[in-house]
Amino acid sequence: MNVIETSGLGKRYGKAWALHDCTLTVPEGCLAALVGPNGSGKSTLMNMAVGLTLPTEGTATVLDGQVIGTPVALDDIAFMAQDAPVYKNMSVADMLHLTRNLNRRFDGPFARARLTDLGIPLKKKSGKLSGGQQAQVALTLALARRPRLLILDEPLSALDPLARQDFMATVMTTMADEGTSVLLSSHALADLERVADYLIVLGGGQLRIAGEVEDLLATHRVLTGPAAQADRYASQLSVVQVKRAAAQAHLLVRTSGTDDPVLPGWEAHPVSLEELTLAYLRAPQAEADPKPANTNHSEPTEAAR
Amino acid sequence: MTVLTMPARPGHDTAPPPVPWRRMVWVTWRQHRATMISVPAVLGALALFLLFAGLKVHHDYAALTACHPQGSVACEALNRTFNGTDWSMGNVLNILMQLLPVLLGMFAGAPLLARDLEAGTFRYAWTQGVGRVRLTIAKFAILAVVITVLAWAFSQLFTWFFEPFLPQENLNVLSATVFDTRGIVFAAWTLAAFCIGAFLGMLLRRVIPAMAVTLGVYLVLALGIWPLRKHYPVAVVTDNPGSIPFTSGPSTPNSPWFLSSWTSGGKYWTKYIPVSRFWPMQFIEAGWLLALSLLLLVGTVWLVRRRAA
Amino acid sequence: MTIDKGSSPIEFRLDPSSGVPTYLQLVQQVEHALRLGYLEPGDQLPKVRDVVANLTINPNTVLKAYKELETKGLASGRPGQGTFVTATLNQVTLPELSGLRRSMLGWLGSADEAGLDEDGMVALFTSVLRDFFKRREGAAHASAKDSEAEGVA
Repeated sequence: MNVIETSGLGKRYGKAWALHDCTLTVPEGCLAALVGPNGSGKSTLMNMAVGLTLPTEGTATVLDGQVIGTPVALDDIAFMAQDAPVYKNMSVADMLHLTRNLNRRFDGPFARARLTDLGIPLKKKSGKLSGGQQAQVALTLALARRPRLLILDEPLSALDPLARQDFMATVMTTMADEGTSVLLSSHALADLERVADYLIVLGGGQLRIAGEVEDLLATHRVLTGPAAQADRYASQLSVVQVKRAAAQAHLLVRTSGTDDPVLPGWEAHPVSLEELTLAYLRAPQAEADPKPANTNHSEPTEAAR
Repeated sequence: MTVLTMPARPGHDTAPPPVPWRRMVWVTWRQHRATMISVPAVLGALALFLLFAGLKVHHDYAALTACHPQGSVACEALNRTFNGTDWSMGNVLNILMQLLPVLLGMFAGAPLLARDLEAGTFRYAWTQGVGRVRLTIAKFAILAVVITVLAWAFSQLFTWFFEPFLPQENLNVLSATVFDTRGIVFAAWTLAAFCIGAFLGMLLRRVIPAMAVTLGVYLVLALGIWPLRKHYPVAVVTDNPGSIPFTSGPSTPNSPWFLSSWTSGGKYWTKYIPVSRFWPMQFIEAGWLLALSLLLLVGTVWLVRRRAA
Repeated sequence: MTIDKGSSPIEFRLDPSSGVPTYLQLVQQVEHALRLGYLEPGDQLPKVRDVVANLTINPNTVLKAYKELETKGLASGRPGQGTFVTATLNQVTLPELSGLRRSMLGWLGSADEAGLDEDGMVALFTSVLRDFFKRREGAAHASAKDSEAEGVA
């Protein structure tokens, strides 16, 4: 089952498209990392998945075909927005009570135990907690709802390294214990390979690439060889990025997965997820996920910004 | 193939029952605790004041009317007390009553949704399992009912307070500033002001601008209705001046509201609204105010569905 | 925050700069532990949850590693209990190890005379190593295909 399915999804504010023609399917049980520069449509995509924004074009469903934004869908989706909004004047205990009253399903004992473990006083006003503590409170509230899908919008940005570690450890153990699916937007590319098994790269409101990390790493590699032959070789292949110096060139190419033989004089190297992500972020109008239903050979039409 | 361990998720497929409405009462209470405490507190304090002031006013009025002979020094003194001191206070309070609905609308209605939107906490509230439509309707309805009931109760107290001034100050129940502080109309105006505030709060998404525009819209409406009230379909047209319940001399609370008179076909016609039409007029006004309020509720919910983020 | 070590004799660690995929690192660490005797048949591998909590990695990665170990016949999962070691790896005996050591030193001496420096030696060794196992895999593949064809025929 797919936790998120979109088809040609887009959102326009006035004349500018925050997100345009986005088609992807996120399978369940994964941690899907949503990567892209600020303003690339990450928050827009997430907001649409939880029904905070309505699409301008295209369709989206969650949790195997549920309509987004309805109580049925929201029941199983827990969302943590950027800056972890909690009611600053309410105590942590009040926030627990509030969340319990706003949801059908809430594991109060779990939430209280977790907050006690983290050393967060229940009587303290949420506004008086540190950034990391507020994020942990927001995460606890989300987890206590026992969602099937957890959507986290840049949850680590305000956290120090130790808090980040604690936070991600919690998310991972929840995945292990409950089989929760996670959609997480992040700028921390270096950690992606460890935690993500599905990657979505957005740039300028467009979907650059999306797919299971295993597939992506298996179907991409870097070919290193003489710069003189680079252009000729590149024309035969699906090239994502070219880096060239006077004598040497590196081509980041997309293959069909099988071990195609390499031209003599050229070497093939595997690609790291970080390198792949950066290449797609930089590539203008690169092709998206090569599923047959999805022909996204985008012309160089500029998304009006 | 052997199954690697993964503990089962507890009871996920049994759909829990939908969030009961009584939980919404707690949510509304907790989220708008400041409003739900301060409004009754302020009204309560005012009510207490009105109570004592009203007792004095009634006492002075009774003394005045019982005073014989009318022109004597003692009676003149009572007259000055009542029509001077007491009436100043009564007048000020009456003006305050005109503003009370919009104040309640501004301070209780405008922040209802705008505060969540401004603070970004709607990203939390609207993604909870209850869904934002149900949450909005619940908060809106609960607060609207509380405020309307309090307003109604308060206007009854004020009606009692103000009663002695009617015969003394040439006012009757149909007078513009009197009509809207009694009966059910005061509560209706309060409800409408609240709904205007809530709707504008959702539309403008900022508390202060919403409050300001609420004030503006309400003033236009409230002042605009004064000249329009006479067009309510309750007027009586007669060519028989003798049938008009009309007393000469200083008007009593029973004097009708004269609208116009003309001559036609050799007869002298008069159009007036008798005081007995008070309640029909109240129902008409409360009726369209209620319709407006419902319209604004629907509009607010529509905005919540559509324009979320 | 104290982390419960569970009942496994070993604990994983990650080397993020090694370039080796995470799940492979876990597999290799189990194999290494088996070779060195840290793990014996019947021992429990660290619980998925504990690995995930310690290393902050995706649980699917751990599952993939454990599945790979299952495929290799080294471990097997018991539902509700955990994953347990089922076999042991050929342990190279001490005299064999010393013999291998000696021949390696000989090769290194020749490489040094040929002019290779340390990095050059490593590069050459790594590339030949890869070729060796690729060829071995290819041969195994081919023989499997042959036996398949024979089976059909």
